[in-house]
Amino acid sequence: MNNNFAKYGIEHLSPSSCNLFTASPAMFVLQKCLGKRTMVGAAAHRGTAVEHGIAHYLTTGSKPEAIDLAKAEFAKLSSMTGDPRQDKESAAIADMVTIGIEELKGYGTPSSMQGKIEYKVEGLAVPLIGYYDFEFEQHGALIDLKTTHALPSKISTNHARQVALYVAARGDNLDARITYVTSKKSATYQLENKREHVHALEKIALTIQKFIGISDDPYELASLVVPDVDTFYFSDPITRQMAFEIWGL
Amino acid sequence: MALGFNLESSGGANFLPIVKFDARSGRIFRRDRENNENVDVDITKSFKAVVDFENLEVGFINFNTGGAPHFAMATYGDPMPEKPSPDHKPGVRFVAKLASTCGGDVREMASNAKAFLIGIDALHNDYLAGAPKNAGKLPVIALTDSVPVVSGEGAKRTTNYSPVFEITGWVNRPDDLGGSTRVAATAKATPPATGASKVAAPSKKAPADDEDFG
Repeated sequence: MNNNFAKYGIEHLSPSSCNLFTASPAMFVLQKCLGKRTMVGAAAHRGTAVEHGIAHYLTTGSKPEAIDLAKAEFAKLSSMTGDPRQDKESAAIADMVTIGIEELKGYGTPSSMQGKIEYKVEGLAVPLIGYYDFEFEQHGALIDLKTTHALPSKISTNHARQVALYVAARGDNLDARITYVTSKKSATYQLENKREHVHALEKIALTIQKFIGISDDPYELASLVVPDVDTFYFSDPITRQMAFEIWGL
Repeated sequence: MALGFNLESSGGANFLPIVKFDARSGRIFRRDRENNENVDVDITKSFKAVVDFENLEVGFINFNTGGAPHFAMATYGDPMPEKPSPDHKPGVRFVAKLASTCGGDVREMASNAKAFLIGIDALHNDYLAGAPKNAGKLPVIALTDSVPVVSGEGAKRTTNYSPVFEITGWVNRPDDLGGSTRVAATAKATPPATGASKVAAPSKKAPADDEDFG
């Protein structure tokens, strides 16, 4: 099997990179093929920090420590971002940790956290890898945590694919759930149609493989896509400038 | 020719697990998934299956996409679809329920190998001949032989194997083969739901009254 990924130094794909290609092929080319580093927004760091705090509570039982840890983690991660939303995200941390703890404490202590999964797809030259948030073996449940400012009424397709992959790799008998947490409320939804969502991710990964196989020249790949610079992917001024220099748009 | 292919001039795998006939070796494999990897299990000698020829699909298949195979299929008897590209070759796709001796589950089988199509075309002719006397039933087939099919000359000479299937009986449609009409096969698929059912964390159980056996 030809490895189209090797020429771009791509050793694996992940649910995140597949979702990125789906949402913004131009950003995928920018990051994965042209090797440009783009800013991670404060919202992403907020998610990491809140998860850090909740994980601490679930393993130690100390809520004040969990909140302090989450705040410290956010401050550390976002110190260099310059994202104007930093203050808003920082202000939400404590409430999100508190709400998330209430939602998840009934599960008890996770049997594992941040577990790496690897999933091989027939015909795909690189594996799909990912890291799940919490597995509760005692309840046969695997849960991924998502922080957001607006509570969704159902699981998003991207999240469904991501968690379906984790469960496919860990064992189909696990109950896949996604917990959404805002600063005011929370909800945990049960994932449906796991197999179909994994299949969708497989198809996306194979499409990426086919796309990057078109050329060894990343600029030729860039010429095949167009960035939507109004999306949040290009909201950072430096990233916006990169798009202008590469695509002239 | 029952399936409508021009076998003189030419040359599956979605949600269901697959069974495949390897025309280069003349053997049938059941593809299983173990530890996230595909494992091909040779079931040539034990192969026996109920074939859903009521919902047989014919058309054009491209397995060399660099990714998932691409199918342009129509239910047998309906107008053939347009050939999407020069890389697409005539092919068939159908679903079969394996006998318990070779797996016992429902599988998809698809191929555009000329040698396979020769064998499946002959089997389908037998099916059409026997169907009127076995209304509402599906054929049970077994692989009795595979015969070499030589093509090309000189350095390009290749030998493939064509399956020889035999209808060994007729049975009522197994429940897990799905609907009996073509409507089931051609019903428009819809995107999978993601999930909107809220679930609560497990609650701590209060001790039962009779928990203490003293």
